[in-house]
Amino acid sequence: MKKCKKFGTAKMLLLTAAVSSAVLLSGCNGDKTDGGKTRVTMLQYKPEAVKAFEEIERRFNESHSDIELNIESPNEAMTVLKTRLIREDYPDIVGIGGDINYSNFLDADLFEDISDIEIIDDIKPAYLKMEKELEFIQKDGVYAIPYAANCAGILYNKDMFDENGWEIPETWSEFTALCEKIKSTGTTPLYFGYKDTWTCLAPWNALAVGLAPSDVCSSVNAGKTTFKAEYDEVADKIKQLLDYAEPNPYAYSYNDACTAFARGESAMYPIGSYAVPQILSVNPEMNIDSFTFPANEDKADNVLNSGIDLQFCVMKESKNKDAAYEVLRFLNEDETVQIYLDNQGGIPCKNGDFTIPSMLNGMTEYINSGRMSDFHDHHYPSEMSVDALIQTYLMDGSENSAEIFLERFDAEWARYNRDLIAKIKKYEEAGSNE
Amino acid sequence: MNKKKMSDRQKTYILMVIPALVLFVMFNTIPLITGAMYSFTNYRGYGSYDFVGLRNYIDLFTDSRVGNSYLFTFKYAIAGTILVNLLSLILALGLNSKIKCKSLLRGVYFLPNILGGLIIGYIFSFIFTYIIPAMGSSLNIGFLKNSILASEKYAWIGVLIVGVWQAVAMNTIIYISGLQTIPADIHEAGMIDGATRWQEFKSLTLPMLMPFVSTNLVLSTKNMLMVFDQIMALTKGGPAQSTESISYLIYKNGMDGGQFGFQSANAVLFFVVIVTISIVQMVITNKKEEQL
Amino acid sequence: MSANARPFVPEPIEVHKKSANEIRDDKDGRSSIFLTTLLIIGCVTILFPLYMTIVIAFKSPSEMTNDIYGALALPKSFSLGNFAEAMRVTDFWHSLGNSVVITGSTIILSLVTHSMTGYAIGRNMNRKKGFKLIYFYIVSGMFVPFAILMMPLVKQTASLGIDNMLGVVILYTVFYMPMNVMLYSGYMKNVPFAMEEAADMDGASAWRTYWTIIFPMMKPMHATVAVLTALGTWNDVMTPLVIMSGTENTTLPLAQLNFQTQFGTNYNLAFASYLLALLPIVIFYIVCQKQIIGGVANGAVKG
Repeated sequence: MKKCKKFGTAKMLLLTAAVSSAVLLSGCNGDKTDGGKTRVTMLQYKPEAVKAFEEIERRFNESHSDIELNIESPNEAMTVLKTRLIREDYPDIVGIGGDINYSNFLDADLFEDISDIEIIDDIKPAYLKMEKELEFIQKDGVYAIPYAANCAGILYNKDMFDENGWEIPETWSEFTALCEKIKSTGTTPLYFGYKDTWTCLAPWNALAVGLAPSDVCSSVNAGKTTFKAEYDEVADKIKQLLDYAEPNPYAYSYNDACTAFARGESAMYPIGSYAVPQILSVNPEMNIDSFTFPANEDKADNVLNSGIDLQFCVMKESKNKDAAYEVLRFLNEDETVQIYLDNQGGIPCKNGDFTIPSMLNGMTEYINSGRMSDFHDHHYPSEMSVDALIQTYLMDGSENSAEIFLERFDAEWARYNRDLIAKIKKYEEAGSNE
Repeated sequence: MNKKKMSDRQKTYILMVIPALVLFVMFNTIPLITGAMYSFTNYRGYGSYDFVGLRNYIDLFTDSRVGNSYLFTFKYAIAGTILVNLLSLILALGLNSKIKCKSLLRGVYFLPNILGGLIIGYIFSFIFTYIIPAMGSSLNIGFLKNSILASEKYAWIGVLIVGVWQAVAMNTIIYISGLQTIPADIHEAGMIDGATRWQEFKSLTLPMLMPFVSTNLVLSTKNMLMVFDQIMALTKGGPAQSTESISYLIYKNGMDGGQFGFQSANAVLFFVVIVTISIVQMVITNKKEEQL
Repeated sequence: MSANARPFVPEPIEVHKKSANEIRDDKDGRSSIFLTTLLIIGCVTILFPLYMTIVIAFKSPSEMTNDIYGALALPKSFSLGNFAEAMRVTDFWHSLGNSVVITGSTIILSLVTHSMTGYAIGRNMNRKKGFKLIYFYIVSGMFVPFAILMMPLVKQTASLGIDNMLGVVILYTVFYMPMNVMLYSGYMKNVPFAMEEAADMDGASAWRTYWTIIFPMMKPMHATVAVLTALGTWNDVMTPLVIMSGTENTTLPLAQLNFQTQFGTNYNLAFASYLLALLPIVIFYIVCQKQIIGGVANGAVKG
């Protein structure tokens, strides 16, 4: 108690004032370093890749005498990025995913047109097309450099498949036949972690890329079609998968499912390549391979679900565009890309000869030929919680559940995208008047 | 007492309130007003925005998800407040009486409140998903056989169990500190009268504890209404959106999603609702205090 | 005597070494053993999850399983490797230092400002409308959802140059003000006004009376407030995340986010780290709870 008493209010205020003035003085941050170098700040959203980016940062700074690169890899990076936007403390470059956040940021006019950087020519066209599709309203120019992609489909236990002589299915009927076969041996064919609602999107996306057009969301926004018309087969098939999964999949989380698959409790796991590290942490010896989700009856119609996991954009507010370009060029050098891939796995968005992780062997055919389509949920507004809608639908045992679900999908879509749809309409009207 | 003395005293009272009041206005009221302004816009949290008038408020009353979140939250808060206060009062009386290993026991009962969300999420999901169903199967108790967290109907009870388990610690501390203000001679008087334990509790302990009961009621109602951590840890609003609380919705769609303006309106409405509930609560308990 | 004083309030000079229930228990000694047993049984609901946490903290990721016996089994070896690794990943001493500074400063600032406010309000709210209004005004702040304050606060702290640890401390002091003021003013209802009257007779100023007599007397409430404030601030992620992001400093809960990424969580390291972070606050609680039991009358005599 005595101690507290000594701490009078006056002293407290003095202390407060002293601390705050010290902080104010030290807090000055310019775009030039003391040594006259141009400072480039980059914020990337994958904290798990911090080691790779520390290495990249070190190499860049060693080879550049005029620029100092500072890469931040904070946890909860999207929240951090948003707070920095509020503070008007803009990084020069951001590394984010190719998803709805990017669409929103772009719509808010935060990014610079970087179509004049030559490295764009090295990027695989399939990924540049995905970038374009992420634009709410088609813009001229290029606003992001796709860097690394991940893909989703089915991961399978290779040893188990080899032992039993199971063949990789290429059509939907082959797939269901295989599941029946596996089930008859007493093994669970599929494992789901539907307690974590977002995992419902993994089979959903993998089916949707094969069964619905990739621009379905913008077509709906333009009033050309409805989800009820486009997604009925997806909805039907995702429900059929439940027959081959563990009972009551809503009780098990993503982590439970990864552990179960790693422990050989199921033969297959419909999820993305991003789950591989978590699975291997439980069972480092496991032999995992993958295949594209055979959503169609004709093999030729199947498409690999692959999307941009990391891309780089230059902020409009950046004052060091030339230096930022220099950083982008360095990031896209083959050697740098390989540092990232060695650390994080995944697929490079750049053409070239890179080592791709062996668990994606079953998908390389699609990757090399560019038969890929983006995750549909990259176009869904996150506040609409489509994952929860899908979970609700899967849990709904009533006969017309698919109809209820798809009608709700259309209704909620219209509500959550109201401003956007109005904006597109206005834009198109303006376009036709010209 | 002379008049000058009294006015000096009054001046001191006012001076004592000022520092806190200044801080409060600066870092609570002003940001609240700024935040409330956004509720009249379609702001996403960044970029440009338009004023949309009362649209967000009108939407609130037609949005079934918001409606369901209010139903869930109130169901949860009413059950939670009652359970927490009963349990923590009993626990405080127990921990305050003459028992062995008092410090250790108090320490243990304090623990649930400080376990982080990740631990709570993992351990309780494991208990609900694996241990309880296994017990249900071996004892052949039907309703225990499936994870309660996977049930659209009962998942809220799973969240409630954990929420109460965590919240009891804090209210117990307050009740324990309340029990310290009750002088012993009151009880001596009670003993001489030959009152039973229950009579003594009802007529002597409880009345003196009333200020703490009312504090605890308000605090636990507020904490239960603002339930967020347990939902993030256990269900993330599922299954089938059955455990989406108001705070969860405000955070998830306002901060993570692009509904900042709309959820600001939700937050304003929510604020008005809880303030009203709490003031009613305080007025009632104050009356009770005076009666006793 | 003021209206606040209650008829059954004892003479302030009397010493009460035992609180009410304890005296009650002296009458029949058996009940204490019965109660102890009951309370120990209740502990199982806490010790079981704690056991799981500790076991997981010692295991390696490859020992993780969905099988109940496997999950409850003891780890293969009780190596401290996870703890060492967790400390390295979180930059433990540095983050711990920051967390201690933030929580400690918040507590000191809260005890000083909130107790004064709570005292002034508690003494006046039944007689003066203004104080009652201030009371309800401050207490209502408790119900403001953080999400609505967040963005304006980020902007405000940045423009004031306190988007750092100091800012976080100030914000915590404001966040916990409603609860603490409520607790202090509630506590004052059971403290007789006779205390101040006696001091007034001696000619002490109200300010002096407060710091020399009332403040020490509120010791059990200080301990309670300190514990509750520490509880809220120690584990908090959101405030430092949005206010301090971009500075070099990190707090323990912020650093602990390292164990969770979008597609994978290292529970073993995370649990080891959480256990480490748990210790300081448990010790703090145990120290404080001794003060809570000290009792109001004891405080009055010693002060």
